[in-house]
Amino acid sequence: MFDGLLDGYTRSLLIFAGIHMIAAYSFYLPYKTGQVSLGQAGFMAIGAYASAILTQKFGIPFAAALIVGGIAAGIIGIAIGFPALRIKGIYLLLLTLGFSEIVSVVALSWEYVGGAQGFRQISFNPFTLEYVIVIIAVLLFFFARLERSSLGRAMDSIHQDETAAEVMGIDVVRIKLLAFGLGAGIAGLAGALYAHHATFMDSTTFNIMLSVEILVFVVVGGGSTYWGPAFGAVVLNAIPEFLRALREWLELIPVAWTNFYPVNRVYDFLHGFLDFENAKRLIAYGVILILMMIFRPDGLLTRDSLRRLRLPRWKSRHA
Amino acid sequence: MLYQQLINGLMLGASYALIAIGYTLIFGVLKLLYFAHGEVFMIGAFAGLYLVLYGGANIYVALLGAMIICALLGVIAVYVSVRPVAKDRPLAPLISTIGLTIILQNLAVYLLGGQQVAFPEAIKQELYHIGPITISSVQIFILGIAISLMVVLWFFIEHTKMGRAIRATAENHETAALLGVDVNRVVLVTFMIGSGIAGVAGVLDGIKNSGISPFMGLSAAVKGLIVMLLGGLGNVPGAMIAGLLLGLIEILSAAYIGTTERDFFSFAILILILLYRPTGLFGARTPEER
Repeated sequence: MFDGLLDGYTRSLLIFAGIHMIAAYSFYLPYKTGQVSLGQAGFMAIGAYASAILTQKFGIPFAAALIVGGIAAGIIGIAIGFPALRIKGIYLLLLTLGFSEIVSVVALSWEYVGGAQGFRQISFNPFTLEYVIVIIAVLLFFFARLERSSLGRAMDSIHQDETAAEVMGIDVVRIKLLAFGLGAGIAGLAGALYAHHATFMDSTTFNIMLSVEILVFVVVGGGSTYWGPAFGAVVLNAIPEFLRALREWLELIPVAWTNFYPVNRVYDFLHGFLDFENAKRLIAYGVILILMMIFRPDGLLTRDSLRRLRLPRWKSRHA
Repeated sequence: MLYQQLINGLMLGASYALIAIGYTLIFGVLKLLYFAHGEVFMIGAFAGLYLVLYGGANIYVALLGAMIICALLGVIAVYVSVRPVAKDRPLAPLISTIGLTIILQNLAVYLLGGQQVAFPEAIKQELYHIGPITISSVQIFILGIAISLMVVLWFFIEHTKMGRAIRATAENHETAALLGVDVNRVVLVTFMIGSGIAGVAGVLDGIKNSGISPFMGLSAAVKGLIVMLLGGLGNVPGAMIAGLLLGLIEILSAAYIGTTERDFFSFAILILILLYRPTGLFGARTPEER
């Protein structure tokens, strides 16, 4: 679809950003009911391995394998969600983290899926970007509808006060389980897409840091609105690219402008700092996280900031 | 054979216990899952390495140096990622310490290189035979340091004024403040102690495994979490015993069942504890809503 427009690098960049966005929504849905999971990478792994087994060992087409991967992750999600209903806060965090680690231990020791050598030669899906776009569109539509539905409001009320929600007659157990299971299913889709784009995965592909990153997308983007996860994933995927572009722009400045003291020192420092090196990039990422939590702990987008965006229209309607 | 495995298990368990003590102290006082703790452990190991390698220090000086450097790191952590962050949002301090984790790990990769570094032989290797057990001088050293540190810490927590202030703050911030406890100072001291102990654990781990890398923090952090939970959140003696217990379980399962299943057991224990006994084996010091 975009063959003429995008080079391979940009395309791959968009695909990874898109997969991160889908994963961020998989975290957001249980988070909407107050459940914080550090195991979304584990559900991605289940979707990825289930779909890759189907396409590689049974020759099933990708579209079907993708759906089965999502459903498999969703079923496991509900199985995990049942015991998880009883626990909260830090305990749930640790439970999901432990689950995700168990998934990776199983992937490491199960020879059928490659064991320590990793799952190799998964068939490459040339239409990953198109799939990603369609899934994100569906998710955005779903969350936009959910926001204003009774189910969405029930979820918000569970997030705020579970006991109060229960007293109001909301079926807390059913809704929390639904949110957890659906979230796991969405993560499974993201995992299946990843597996058939990267064509290789092993037990460390879906690790704790990925789960942490997914949580960070939502918290940085803003967990109180459904635009937050998408925004967070876009911003945090764009930052390294932005730093890179900045360095290229810096190189466009004529040498004569900067080649005297003290400007040359500043230039050298900036140029060195923007060096596209993984460690430095991640350090910048860590600094941004801390600054975010100090100055904007509710995330970049909040319900208030979105409301302010719509303010002019509101006024004209009511005045 | 079994005795030998028991000693190995105790060795592994001692370092788990030292990491978990810091976790559980900090969790007790702040109800915070302090994610950067594993990286503090890693930096302690590197501090010890550089002190021995380039400072020419003997191992005791290296241990003390690593402890001081990590304690300072704890102070920095409080000022950078705990104090300025909003208290009323449960996820904010968690994320800011995740940010700190990422910074510390990649700073180490950037400054020290991403490879594993060999730890110099700081203690003369000698073997002693006691009945059926063979124990090396390194093992005696590690166990001795770890256990004496735990005893000192236990005494500090239970029998000194500052220890009492820490326990009071863990129970309730407001009440402790009303009773004249300087809560901010207690938090600072708790971070210093927890981080200092993690630094010692890092050096001991370096001596034991004779190699360290900037990526050793994450798995140490996860194991420390399991031990903290097993011992009961905020329960310091619980963390000590649970650490030794987990070390024994891991070594015995690796020896008699298989090395890849070893991690499976520790995470299975984590999940079982969470589901059936969330207060840990010995009861949580800080009852929390669950």
